[in-house]
Amino acid sequence: MKRWSIRPISLRQVWLALVVAAALVVGLFWHLDDPALPRAASPPPAGLHFLGPVPAMHATGEDRTARRRQLAEQVRLTGHTYCSYLQQSRYPHTSRPAAQHPDQLYPNQPVRESTPLRGDGGDSDPAVLVQTMQSRVYLAAGETVAFSLRAVDAHGAAVPLVVTRALAQGMAVQGARPAPHVTLAFSRDDGDDWRATFAPHGGALAGFHGTIRSEVRFAAAGRAGVVLFDVIYSPELPAMWSGAPREAIGPDALEFTLPLDVRLPGRYVVSGRIDDALGRPFALASFNERLGQGTQAVVLRVHGKLLHDAGPGPALPLVLRDVEGYLLRENADPDRLLLARREGPVLVSRTLSLAGVPDHAWQSEERSRYLAEYAKDRMAARERLAAFDPAATQPPAGCSEPGLVQ
Amino acid sequence: MKHRRIPYAFYILCTVCLLLASTVAGATNYTLWINGRSSSGAPGNYSDFRYWGPAATAAGINKQAVNWDGRSSIASQSGRVRDALDCFCTGQNWCYIATYSAGDLLLGYTLANYGGSARTVTNASANANGVCAASGGVQTGWNLKWVRVAAGAAGGSELANAGAWTTSEPLVQDLKTSTARAMYNHNDTRNVWFYRYAGARGTAYSFLLPGQDDEVVAYHSSGGVAGNAGRSLCNPGDWLCDDLRLGTAPNQGGSVKWSWHSVVFRDDGERFDHYGDGNWAGIIGVMREAMVDTAN
Repeated sequence: MKRWSIRPISLRQVWLALVVAAALVVGLFWHLDDPALPRAASPPPAGLHFLGPVPAMHATGEDRTARRRQLAEQVRLTGHTYCSYLQQSRYPHTSRPAAQHPDQLYPNQPVRESTPLRGDGGDSDPAVLVQTMQSRVYLAAGETVAFSLRAVDAHGAAVPLVVTRALAQGMAVQGARPAPHVTLAFSRDDGDDWRATFAPHGGALAGFHGTIRSEVRFAAAGRAGVVLFDVIYSPELPAMWSGAPREAIGPDALEFTLPLDVRLPGRYVVSGRIDDALGRPFALASFNERLGQGTQAVVLRVHGKLLHDAGPGPALPLVLRDVEGYLLRENADPDRLLLARREGPVLVSRTLSLAGVPDHAWQSEERSRYLAEYAKDRMAARERLAAFDPAATQPPAGCSEPGLVQ
Repeated sequence: MKHRRIPYAFYILCTVCLLLASTVAGATNYTLWINGRSSSGAPGNYSDFRYWGPAATAAGINKQAVNWDGRSSIASQSGRVRDALDCFCTGQNWCYIATYSAGDLLLGYTLANYGGSARTVTNASANANGVCAASGGVQTGWNLKWVRVAAGAAGGSELANAGAWTTSEPLVQDLKTSTARAMYNHNDTRNVWFYRYAGARGTAYSFLLPGQDDEVVAYHSSGGVAGNAGRSLCNPGDWLCDDLRLGTAPNQGGSVKWSWHSVVFRDDGERFDHYGDGNWAGIIGVMREAMVDTAN
């Protein structure tokens, strides 16, 4: 059998290697020094990719104007990217201002939609609007959902409606045997709404996991119509809330810890809303981590700097409310098993002053990585524009432009 | 036993070449294209652009087609996107992303659920399944510059509500407006911008789609509007309908957009429909031009 070996390095070989390496490096930069490109005032710091295939432009006329516009757009875009990230990443992804999550603040509010009356054959009557409501979309084991519908005309006046048939059926995976169905009992309330409550755990769909479609047929304005309500039901709880929530001031944040008895290990995605003492939404706290089996802790944090930056600061004490979450089943369909939701107040903070609450921006490898790359892009774009047109007006080098807050 | 000797200069030369190659390969920008419903591209084949149009067409630096089947559930196809992000958007590599229609829902779901997870840094060289080998190291999340979205369906489509598409298709169930909007927190993009392109050349299904639409997606979705669906939003000048406003500004009537979502193109001329026609057409074409200009 032949073996391969390398002899010890001699001084002559080291010199040879250095010469070869130097030649390669010189060759590389010679290659990159494309005369078709406008020369930068200094080498772009953005890396080789920024020296990529930039179209050669004749420095006159419309081409030059278009190229200037393109470069100016790149300056604006990279500046916006960098500055908005810098500004908004002061707080971690798991502790965000409530204003940035407008549709996440009241997760238990019903979903209301309005659609033109649709007939069985796909035809539609835009003169009659069907207004629907469902109290939830995702249902944990044991939860119920309420449905309602009514019809109105173009002016909002009620149109008489009668529910004729309502069936809830599990949407079976293709090829699987059909899932069972149950009849929903719709009845008219004191007004013009028809309402029903559906409890999957109490009937033939108790063990079904996935989308349950309720098909509700009705008559309104002399026409037959149909609406569909979908809920996604998970028939088992992957973990149970256990023990009393507790609070502590951590190294970066005010921390609310919720004990969780985990039956099925995996990635748990949980969110909770933080109100101030006056009931005004202040923050959205979230958790997305793997948890092992047994007694675990879900920690929802309010970043200290978020509290300190608020002007005026939030009225204390803070209140944690409306906690919901699920076990995320990666690459599976259905993709989640829901935790029992905790509606309403879960914990009232004992912290009545911000003294002692940390006040520093979020720092992480992720943040540093992003800021370094975005800054590099921004600098490179500015240098490209300056090289192309030294008289071009550049935006301010700082991050003082308005309109960066989401 | 006689040993064969490798010329040492050759050894050094190879080492230097590898170092330089890794430097170049280790700082590469890619442009990922994530398709919508009814895909024709082969999943895992990042060179297969048949869903979009001729592969020779410029569409951003180092373009890669992140093909998924376009009919299975979002949850089951998220792995395809994660594979692509692991391949091209880890380590020294960074990505621009163009996504379209249901691809918007797929990417948003992936970032909201997995955007902060530990990712294996890879060598950006995919096998036949679209999976790249580990090259050492782990990082939090992916490296993304920004995202452009044409005809985004992250807010669902009333065509799915109405049963206009086959209801046995799992993706159609996910595209029901109430389901799409409850599926994940659309505001959680890991602080990455989604720049949105909303077409308005819709006619066939305008009786089902509220406000302006591109024939599949209404402005409430393509414009990234938060909250319940069903909101009618239009181009300026329609007195019976609130305006979809550009940028991150609240719309006329007070509705707001998801955070980190900005409308950069509103089809005031009603010139662009939903369909790419396998030739980079419709609203896809508008987005492609922007990718060429800015994904470099």
